[in-house]
Amino acid sequence: MRVALCGITVRFGALTAVEDVSLAIEPGEVHAVVGENGAGKTTLMNVLFGLVAPQAGAIRLDGQDRRWTSPQDAIRHGLGMVHQHFMLQESMSVLENIVLCAEPAGRFGLVDFSAARSRLRRIAEQHGISLALDRPVARLSVGERQVVEVLKMLYRQAEVLILDEPTSVLTPQEKDRLFATLRSFRTAGKAIVLITHKLDEVMELADRVSVMRAGRLVWSGRLSQTSKEEIARGIVGGALPPARQRAVRTPGEPVLAVRDLEVAGRSGAVGPLSLRVHAGEIVGIAGVAGNGQGELIQAITGLAPALSGEIALCGRPVTHLDVERRRRLGMSYIPEDRQRMGLALGATVSENANAGRDDRRAFTRGPFLDRAAMARFASGLIERFRIRVGGPSALAATMSGGNKQKLVVGRELARNTPLVIAENPTWGVDIGAIDFIHGELMRMRDEGHAVLLVSTELDEVMALSDRILVMYAGAIAGEVAGTEADRETIGRMMTSRAHQALPEVA
Amino acid sequence: MLELLFDPSFAASVPRFVTPILLAALGGALCERAGVFNIALEGFLLMGAFAAVVGSYFSGSPWLGALAAMLGGVAMGLVFAEFNLRRGGDPIVVSIAINILAAGLTTYLLRAIFDAMGAFSDPAIAGFGPVSIPGLGWLPVLGPVFGGQSPLFYLALVAVPVASLFFARHRLGLRIRAAGENPAGLVAGGVSPRRVRLYALMGCGALCGLGGAQLSIANVNLFVENMSAGRGWIAVVAVLLTRGRPWPLLLIAFIFGTVDSLSFRVQGLGMPQQFTDMMPYLATLAVLITLSWWRRGRTANGGAP
Amino acid sequence: MRTLRESAVLREAVSWGVALAWIAGVLFLLMALVGAPFGEALSAFLQNAFGGRRLSYLMATLSRAALIAGMAVSVMLSFRAGLFNIGGEGQLVAGGLVAALAALFLPGPPLFVLGASILAAMVAGAGWALLAGLLQLHLGVPLLVGSLLLNYPIRYIASYLVAHPFRDVQSGMVQSHLVPQATWLPYFPGTRLDIGILFIAAASLFAIIYSHFTLHGYHARMNGLSPAFARTVGLPVGKLTLQTLAMSGAIAGLVGAVAVFGVHHRYIDGMLVQPLYAWTGIIAVLLVGMIPWAVPLSGLFFAAIQTGAAGMERSAGVPKEIALVMQAVIILFVASRVSGALVASSERRAGGGEGA
Repeated sequence: MRVALCGITVRFGALTAVEDVSLAIEPGEVHAVVGENGAGKTTLMNVLFGLVAPQAGAIRLDGQDRRWTSPQDAIRHGLGMVHQHFMLQESMSVLENIVLCAEPAGRFGLVDFSAARSRLRRIAEQHGISLALDRPVARLSVGERQVVEVLKMLYRQAEVLILDEPTSVLTPQEKDRLFATLRSFRTAGKAIVLITHKLDEVMELADRVSVMRAGRLVWSGRLSQTSKEEIARGIVGGALPPARQRAVRTPGEPVLAVRDLEVAGRSGAVGPLSLRVHAGEIVGIAGVAGNGQGELIQAITGLAPALSGEIALCGRPVTHLDVERRRRLGMSYIPEDRQRMGLALGATVSENANAGRDDRRAFTRGPFLDRAAMARFASGLIERFRIRVGGPSALAATMSGGNKQKLVVGRELARNTPLVIAENPTWGVDIGAIDFIHGELMRMRDEGHAVLLVSTELDEVMALSDRILVMYAGAIAGEVAGTEADRETIGRMMTSRAHQALPEVA
Repeated sequence: MLELLFDPSFAASVPRFVTPILLAALGGALCERAGVFNIALEGFLLMGAFAAVVGSYFSGSPWLGALAAMLGGVAMGLVFAEFNLRRGGDPIVVSIAINILAAGLTTYLLRAIFDAMGAFSDPAIAGFGPVSIPGLGWLPVLGPVFGGQSPLFYLALVAVPVASLFFARHRLGLRIRAAGENPAGLVAGGVSPRRVRLYALMGCGALCGLGGAQLSIANVNLFVENMSAGRGWIAVVAVLLTRGRPWPLLLIAFIFGTVDSLSFRVQGLGMPQQFTDMMPYLATLAVLITLSWWRRGRTANGGAP
Repeated sequence: MRTLRESAVLREAVSWGVALAWIAGVLFLLMALVGAPFGEALSAFLQNAFGGRRLSYLMATLSRAALIAGMAVSVMLSFRAGLFNIGGEGQLVAGGLVAALAALFLPGPPLFVLGASILAAMVAGAGWALLAGLLQLHLGVPLLVGSLLLNYPIRYIASYLVAHPFRDVQSGMVQSHLVPQATWLPYFPGTRLDIGILFIAAASLFAIIYSHFTLHGYHARMNGLSPAFARTVGLPVGKLTLQTLAMSGAIAGLVGAVAVFGVHHRYIDGMLVQPLYAWTGIIAVLLVGMIPWAVPLSGLFFAAIQTGAAGMERSAGVPKEIALVMQAVIILFVASRVSGALVASSERRAGGGEGA
């Protein structure tokens, strides 16, 4: 099936997310749509899939104009989409997830699971996929969950498959497996749309590339007619930021020491874990999301209790202290979820900037607030961290994602504590903000702070860390020096316990 | 105390207290599983109780009374849906408003329709009689509990496995669970979670309506102002405790129902009414505390994979 | 841009108009049901809410408004801190009961007895609220459920105490003896309005200053806007919860004391429960979206509805429960509009933040 998007324009209020974009998707081809976060890739695909109604433009399937009122229409016409955040029901089995919304119903509306099961068996055999249909999704790895999403599309007989950043949560090995499956789909004559911001993947798999920037299509054509550098320039719209220089530095005293830590996790206990972070080094924790990183950080910050083990901060035991006392002793924390944990979106920038400050005297008089002092402090952060916002009294909700994150980073780094914990600090922000935040974390390291960086972006961990720890299934699977890190080794550790291979774990 | 439990008239009174809680809680379970935070069960029940009396009084048939009760409950469900789902009001705010609305409207209509203050009883209100189940009479405790109860009690008992099957195997049950767990998954599949939740609210209204009918035209033959008397809140607690799973709900409803009828009994033994009135609420708190300790113990042990 | 804003204002105005039309429609329908004359009912409503000989009805409205506004202020402190404390009724009853009993049994000069009783009432209210807080923090009972369930035991305890040990048997009613007349709150000169309203005004003033200008109020509000955020930046969430609940409960206890010393001069079974003071206070807070200075006004508004409805009952035969229906319908329309705006803006935020 041939799909054409013609002159698509999408506006959200005053913001134009997609402007006059036209592109063609051909059967038997992999079409990569690339661009920064916020370039409009996902919105464009949501239009194609019927999740967003465009203000202008048309969707053409095999030359016929189509109009979707809901994704149901798109699905009926052979479109399927795997979203960046999986749309699965954790408590349900694989089978239940796959039939959901397309249930073969029998008497009284009861679902005919056996019919669905036998049909799925045929499909899975045909494409060489194996998966236990009765396991609950909660127990599947991220890679397996993606297989469920792909099966779901096949079950609905999709001819056009849209995958939104499918590799962002996969290990390198899982990525290879996915790409092999996608190649088999291409051979079978299906059209595949791959939304990504990773150029290596584009070069590896795509037949056709469309580059988007700030809602516009800047280039579209066959991969053979362009080069990696040209695509990269198209994405950022100019020269790339220079690679970061790393000052040589010998690590100092241990600032954070974790010994035999165990934490309650959603699927079983996490740990026992031991690690140290020294002054003047960045320790990166790599791993696929959901392998215990979140629980580890919660225990270190004091947001969740440790079941056993010890945590010491600057040489003082803190295992039984609350968040406030740990922060006072010298800990800053940039949480992954800036919308809920990093900021109170309904409060002003000033109120967000002053929360959790150690020097309360500086903005209070007795029990009363000194609003002017609070605003001065916020203005200082806005200036120093180049936050684009109306001013200290603007609501935090009015800022863009990158500026929200800069506010969180600014508030935490301004406290100048010996330990900085950063959890996916650049998730979903634009390249400019990523570069700035990376620069600030490096600066902290160079000034002698200890930085613990948790990221599911392997590139980020490799670019910043002096040492890399890899987490898998609630344990540390291995450690690599930052200078010796390569994707293959780390990728292997991300899926296996590698204690034997690397006996000198932390 | 034990003696009391084996007293047949006590055993026979338990289902009278179990039925309204169980029906309302099953309705609440629909909402809970669909991701609607409905704490207006008290209002739903009360409206059901009133509508049952109206229906029964004018038709002379308890079954039509029960039907009217269901319609009354569904109407409240639609009000909830309109203000929570369509207009996006906070579910707690909407629930509080609906509870007040039900209290006000039933009392108002009691005076407007029957010209009665506070309570209304009339021989024209046809109530449900006991259904005799042959062969149960000789059983010591189970006999009086399960025999000779109102048809709504048996309906409630049947509703438990039906609800269980519904959530596990029915198309709408599956979608209701999805609406509660990850509604984005429904949207991606082209199904509107809002519509699924609307159905859940309507089902909840119907079940609560029947629970109300048990209060007004099966336990007694009259309507008293505010006669739900906190049972809807106990149903809310039962739903929260069981996270809307039907079989555990049955157990909890029996525990609460037994305490409820026990408190009614010991009143006859000379304990001041105020203390017996307190018992259901204290029992609810006790169950809440016990369960949360139990759950905490389980998570602390980590539950090895 | 300007036209955009103008059309938004217009849309807003139209939808408020539609909501008002709906509310009016529901009320007229109900009145038609009992065949009440509209005009007469309306004038009786206004007369009874704000008029009367020497404004006596207005005074009744104000006296009731004081209690409702007091409960609203109490609830507001909790709600702004993100604590769904719907146990105001229990805290109110605890306050009223303790105030009456303390005044009956404390020896000493009247002014001392009055002061000590009010203080005891505030401590009792705070204690009852703290109980719900402790249940949540240490025993895992959600505050919403725990605070609600605690309403019932105290209601029955109070009922028992004034029905048995401390009953004024001669009166034949379920109520305590009268508190010493010297402890009664005096009327404003030339009116039938007691000075209890001044206590409530002071509490409101305290709440406004606390919410806007103190560190504690700022921290409590951060917790209310996002509990995860408050925990992450290391605010002492547990302590904040208990302190806020204690403040909330103390104000509810104060309201109970004002009802005893200003209005009833004794504890009568059900006197604080039947008029739904606590629930009306909750909806008064919700009506104005928890804006501190507007909360007392909103309390006055609902008090006027209740006394007005009582007038309609006397003059036009409309059952006074129409007030409850009116309140519920207003909250449904208004609160869903207010929170609807919140939801819409948060969705927009999420969409913008993700980067489409």
